[in-house]
Amino acid sequence: MTKAIDDYLKKLKAALSGADPATIQDALSDAEEHLTTALAQALEREPGAAAEAEIAKIIDTYGAPEEVAAAYKEMETMTPVTLSLSGSAVARPRQHRFFGVLGDIHTYAALLYMLLSLATGIFYFTWAVTGLSLSAGLMLLVIGIPFMTAFLLSARGIALIEGRIIEGVLGERMPRRPVFFRRDLGWWGGVKALFADRTTWSAIAYMVLQLPLGIIYFTITTTLIAVSLGLIAEPILTYFFDQPVIQTGSYSYYMPVWAMPFSVAGGFLLLVVTLHVARGLGRLHARYAKRLLVKTEK
Amino acid sequence: MNVTLAEDKKFLKELNAGTSALVLLGVVGSAPEPMYGYQIAKLIDTGSEDVPMMKQGALYPVLRSLEKSGLLESTVEPSVTGPPRRYYRITEKGRAAIDRWSDLWDRTKSVVDSVLKGKRHDQSDR
Repeated sequence: MTKAIDDYLKKLKAALSGADPATIQDALSDAEEHLTTALAQALEREPGAAAEAEIAKIIDTYGAPEEVAAAYKEMETMTPVTLSLSGSAVARPRQHRFFGVLGDIHTYAALLYMLLSLATGIFYFTWAVTGLSLSAGLMLLVIGIPFMTAFLLSARGIALIEGRIIEGVLGERMPRRPVFFRRDLGWWGGVKALFADRTTWSAIAYMVLQLPLGIIYFTITTTLIAVSLGLIAEPILTYFFDQPVIQTGSYSYYMPVWAMPFSVAGGFLLLVVTLHVARGLGRLHARYAKRLLVKTEK
Repeated sequence: MNVTLAEDKKFLKELNAGTSALVLLGVVGSAPEPMYGYQIAKLIDTGSEDVPMMKQGALYPVLRSLEKSGLLESTVEPSVTGPPRRYYRITEKGRAAIDRWSDLWDRTKSVVDSVLKGKRHDQSDR
């Protein structure tokens, strides 16, 4: 009975090949939700009806896999309203684009992610390492397997939440629904599939790697911001607070007056460069996260 | 015969590409409580008589894009029978869009009607 639905989902997946992995995941969830609900309600209305015939009717009104896939692909090509601002940057001259990051909300969002990644990194790392080591330790006891299953499920949940953060902050399209598990595998089959799924393990790898990455992102952004703000504030620090640039023992080195304008201009330039760095890192990170957190079919 | 059917199908598809968003907004907007995809699909099917307006599978991407544009919002709730269901509800922005779009729809409809009536007029002259 659910074999027909699984077949349909497989065909839909094949028809969607080449589309964004997140779109594929959404389309499969939508189809599964619709087909199971429709079948359950049809059988409720006519308990005696043949499930095979009902499911064929339902699939016919839902649409052929190719048609449905085409509808999703079409939606994907349209620019989302909320992100359409960034599209206008293409036609503008170079210097506008370079300084344009100052007025672009996405830049500050990327910067926020860089700073946030240290906090999430600490949490993910702790969770993953604790979960893995407790699972290994408890494996000798009866509760070992259930504990590890719960831990792996939590990793999948965190992968979904991290995906939502990345889509919200960095703008990369990520899944909005959990990966569906095939119901026909049964309870034990589902657990086995969870252990065998590459995405489960890559999500755990992501959680572990988020700590070193978070430290790197956080250090780079805070250092660059601090240095550029320091350079911009140099005249004020020198003339109002009598702060030298370098102080070693009893020696104080002050910046010469002629260098002050260069310091301010350089600081401002470095700040803009910092924003570009944050955006670039954000884009790279989003792509990397997609590789590790989103299920892709070969 | 088959050629006509294929042409009809293509025309219907192009027609629906524009109107489905308005229909879906209207259905969700006039519902007293949040609805999930299958409910919406069934409601539209009973509304359109023998020719189904569009394949039910094509509704979902439209719902998702309406949500992305902030005209609808959704929540996922677990269900007894199967996978969790996504319930859609209209936003303030969505209500405003219905008002504007139904004006546009009225205008389009009257233009199409007047042109089609004119054509019939020509034929009866001949």
